[in-house]
Amino acid sequence: MALFTLENISVAYNKQNILQDFNLEIEEGKFISLLGPSGCGKTTTLRLIAGFLESNNGKFLYKGKDYTKVPVNKRNFGFVFQNYALFPHLTIFDNVAFGLRLRKASKSEIEKKVASVLEIVNLSGFEKRYPKELSGGQRQRVAIARALVIEPDLLLFDEPLSNLDANLRENMRIEIRRIQQELGITTVYVSHDQEECFAISDQVAIMNKGIIEQLSDPATIYNYPKTKFVADFIGFKNFIDFEDQKIHENEIELTKSGFTFIVQKNKANTSTDGKTGAIRPDNIVIRPLKESVTAGKNELPGKVKIRTYLGRSYQFIVETPIGDFTINQELLVPYQVGEEVILEFPANNMVLVK
Amino acid sequence: MKNRNIYLLLLPGVIFLTIFMVIPILLTIGSTFINEGSFSFDGYLHYFQDKYFIGILLTTLKVSLITTFICILLGFPVAYYISKVGTRTKVLLLLLSIFPLLTSSVVRSFSWMIIIGKNGVLNKLLLNIGLINEPLNILYTPTAIIIGLVHLFLPLIIITLVGVMENMDEDLLKAAESLGASRLGVFAKVVLPLSMPGLVIGSILVFVGSFTAYTTPALLGGKQRVISTFLYQNATTLNDWHTAAIVATIMIVVTLLVTITMNQIAYKINPKG
Repeated sequence: MALFTLENISVAYNKQNILQDFNLEIEEGKFISLLGPSGCGKTTTLRLIAGFLESNNGKFLYKGKDYTKVPVNKRNFGFVFQNYALFPHLTIFDNVAFGLRLRKASKSEIEKKVASVLEIVNLSGFEKRYPKELSGGQRQRVAIARALVIEPDLLLFDEPLSNLDANLRENMRIEIRRIQQELGITTVYVSHDQEECFAISDQVAIMNKGIIEQLSDPATIYNYPKTKFVADFIGFKNFIDFEDQKIHENEIELTKSGFTFIVQKNKANTSTDGKTGAIRPDNIVIRPLKESVTAGKNELPGKVKIRTYLGRSYQFIVETPIGDFTINQELLVPYQVGEEVILEFPANNMVLVK
Repeated sequence: MKNRNIYLLLLPGVIFLTIFMVIPILLTIGSTFINEGSFSFDGYLHYFQDKYFIGILLTTLKVSLITTFICILLGFPVAYYISKVGTRTKVLLLLLSIFPLLTSSVVRSFSWMIIIGKNGVLNKLLLNIGLINEPLNILYTPTAIIIGLVHLFLPLIIITLVGVMENMDEDLLKAAESLGASRLGVFAKVVLPLSMPGLVIGSILVFVGSFTAYTTPALLGGKQRVISTFLYQNATTLNDWHTAAIVATIMIVVTLLVTITMNQIAYKINPKG
């Protein structure tokens, strides 16, 4: 059973709909990420769950109870902010103890719980410091400790790592995942960083313009995007809008301007309404024209238009009869601009999306 | 410009203040310790044994502290509201709230006379409603002075508080709420401590202003003397400049003491302010 449910939620701001008939279910103990470009409604969703925002209509159910009108301070959800939001006038100890004091915990209980939660986030010994005296990563760990110490029913993260530098971000996301696993707290995490979400989550919801385009585990999303938006967002740069399709037992045969493509059936391609082929720049194979005289199935003739050196590989933009394609390939001797080539689209690397 | 020469920018201001403020103040203070050509504390001892003077000093202190307190009570919610509204409304509201400072204190005081006088608007209104049977005696009492001073100095506290509240991170309030704080809890544990720097500066401005105010107490206080009207009387009416200098020195010392005390209290509430 779902721990909490958003039911037909609508939120409008300045007469503009940010969420409309939004639905989401989250199971207990799961780590779910909301991922999407800015303005997609992911932060709005998180703030709505926290209670900072009210929905125009719809319901928010927590363990079957209607939480829609429950005020923030009665929800017992931990919230971790992008800018940490530590109280600058309080020591680390007092920051962490803030929620416990409001719950009228005894002095010894406060001391015990603060000490143990600071140990979880590896900040023992920092009790007497002030937030100003800590580094960004340490501050964010204090913020996590402060949210954890109240033993929240739900842990909410709003882009918690985006103010940290790259190395620290990687360490912190491992920390966050470890803490969440250790304590088994249901967590909702908002980010615009794809890698971060994939690394940390049980489930990822890709959001666009106030709706969830796809909600799956990270590997499914990465390999089998369902919509063109999701595919584009996670790096399938090349799309072919096919004109016709024939469904065979194990594969689907598609055509575009007289060229034939075979796509293997898989998780994402079982539905036949996806007519757009998507493929990553890394998965297209580029060959010199002389090797095969005419283009066969899953092949396109083309001419190199732009070549860019990316360090690890070269990126080519190749002009073909059905449009331009982007290809990344590791090569010692690169193709020249203007050179005639053949592009091969392996059947198991192309997916069909809506 | 070389960085080590940057202090030269201070020079004009420092020279001006030294000639026209520091030296005169030191001369004034110095002169109070000289009695008939020799060094002595006699002047001060005399005044601290004088019940009349002590009475004036205490009244002035009381009036200034009450004024400061009322300004804080009235100014806090207003400043909080102003800090939350949009820029255009904010400018308008700030302009409105500093309006008292833009009017002449003589005009302002006479307006208050019309309102709180024995046959004034307020008394007529209360008599007509039947809330009171005989007119209230507000004009020419410390209460009248307080009303006038609150009107005059409220803008100072609003402006300084809006300054700190504007810079208060909205997420801090949200964080406190998400940790379980009620509206009142958020105010007491986050908004108030973080407002302390502005509150202290505003309070000191109001207190010092009230303690040294002249026109408002002179017009609304009637026979009720405050320390500045007492000083004026000594200096001009009685031509006793020695006494005036002693009173001035006492004013400076009291002002400094109260300022330091306020800072201490603020430090207790918010050590990082």
